[in-house]
Amino acid sequence: MLKKNNKGFLQISFAWLFAIIVGAIILSLTIFAVTKIIGTQETVIGAKTAKEIGILLNPLETGFEIGKTTQITFPTDTRIYNKCDKEGIFGRQGIQISQKSFDKWTATDVEVSFANKYIFSGNYSEGKTFYIFSKPLEFPFKVTDLIYLTSSQDNYCFIDAPNQIKEELSALDQKNIFLDECENLENEIKVCFNSEDCEIQVNYGMKTVKKNENILHFETDALMYSAIFSDKRTYDCELQRIMQRIEQLSQIYRDKESFISQRGCNSNLGNNLIQLSNSAKSLTSSTNIHSVWNIAEEIREKNDVNSRCRLW
Amino acid sequence: MVNNKAQLKIQQMAFMLMAITLFFVLVGMFVLVISTSNLKQTAIELQEKNALSLVSKLANSPEFSCGEAFGSQKINCIDADKLMMLKENLAKYENFWGISNIEIIKEGSGTTICNLVNYPNCDIIKLYPEEISSEYSNFVALCWKDSFDGRIYDKCEVARLMVGYNG
Repeated sequence: MLKKNNKGFLQISFAWLFAIIVGAIILSLTIFAVTKIIGTQETVIGAKTAKEIGILLNPLETGFEIGKTTQITFPTDTRIYNKCDKEGIFGRQGIQISQKSFDKWTATDVEVSFANKYIFSGNYSEGKTFYIFSKPLEFPFKVTDLIYLTSSQDNYCFIDAPNQIKEELSALDQKNIFLDECENLENEIKVCFNSEDCEIQVNYGMKTVKKNENILHFETDALMYSAIFSDKRTYDCELQRIMQRIEQLSQIYRDKESFISQRGCNSNLGNNLIQLSNSAKSLTSSTNIHSVWNIAEEIREKNDVNSRCRLW
Repeated sequence: MVNNKAQLKIQQMAFMLMAITLFFVLVGMFVLVISTSNLKQTAIELQEKNALSLVSKLANSPEFSCGEAFGSQKINCIDADKLMMLKENLAKYENFWGISNIEIIKEGSGTTICNLVNYPNCDIIKLYPEEISSEYSNFVALCWKDSFDGRIYDKCEVARLMVGYNG
């Protein structure tokens, strides 16, 4: 009797065993599906946010002057990755978003890209609030509006900047840009124009920016800001994309020149524009930017003189 | 007799588990269909937002803007001569602005599409041949260099810049 009871106590019926195994399978599948759905949703949110940032940048591509600062605030800690790709006719500006979820950064492989945008920032910018401003680049015609993206966590202190730079930056009223008086700033990045004891050194006369032992060459204030706010890899890549745009715009202006000359409107800039197009095409690093700029300057002077048949 | 009863119970259990599995699969598929349709809607909304924000700014982009070609710097002014040359180089600008179509239509005129033969005596500069389902528009000045008796002059007309997207 005792023997029989012991056997019954230990025995699990087949029905229970079957239910446990199938139940476990269903539960595992459900957990797997939920995990996948959460991952997909994170990717969707990242892609949607990146696309929305791109759309938000459209109004910045407008004008003739430096624009007001635009502020983007996210509900959670966010990293905006700057992905520059120079392949193709215009290259692509990619944006990737990674957000903190349960104290971990979400994995990002979805990249939203735009051919008509040029964003200057570090490899990634991290924070909840980001500041964006833009400045048109003329080389010698308007090429694009360059966009500068910084995190509110990084405070830029401009020391001994030339007056027009000071005026421009103070008009921006950007909360992470300070002029000369930079006491007790957290995460301070000093940008010096006349001294050497700074993270970023600008030689305004020689048109160079020294940053992390790298020397970036620039022409125009718009490209100076680009060198200040971005890393070397981003700067070189975006500069080449800008040159690709100059190449295409030069061809359009050259075509326009011969098109309107049929109506008797001559500007004689055809050869100079071919030279600019070729020079822009062959630029591989910022070191050679000054030679492209010299050609651009010559074209600008010729175009300005010809008030009757200006090309731009 | 005991064996038959047990087998029946197993069958009942198996059917029940299959029914539960099927139920969850159907619920999962339902959720997936809803989230996919939401995703499509989001994509359309983003295209719409892009078109809306571009339509007011596109005229000032370098490929379109007049610059100082017709006197002083003008806002919302499109250089028609440059645009015709852009049209000739359009293959390079595929997907450049992320929209389906761009058209510039002279106000109060006909429906003649511009090409290099009939320009500037035409009405519509159509950049992309694609048909569009939705669009936004904005008024702009359309300017070009014209000549009369061998004299060059600037001519401007009011036009509508239309930006189309597939929604």
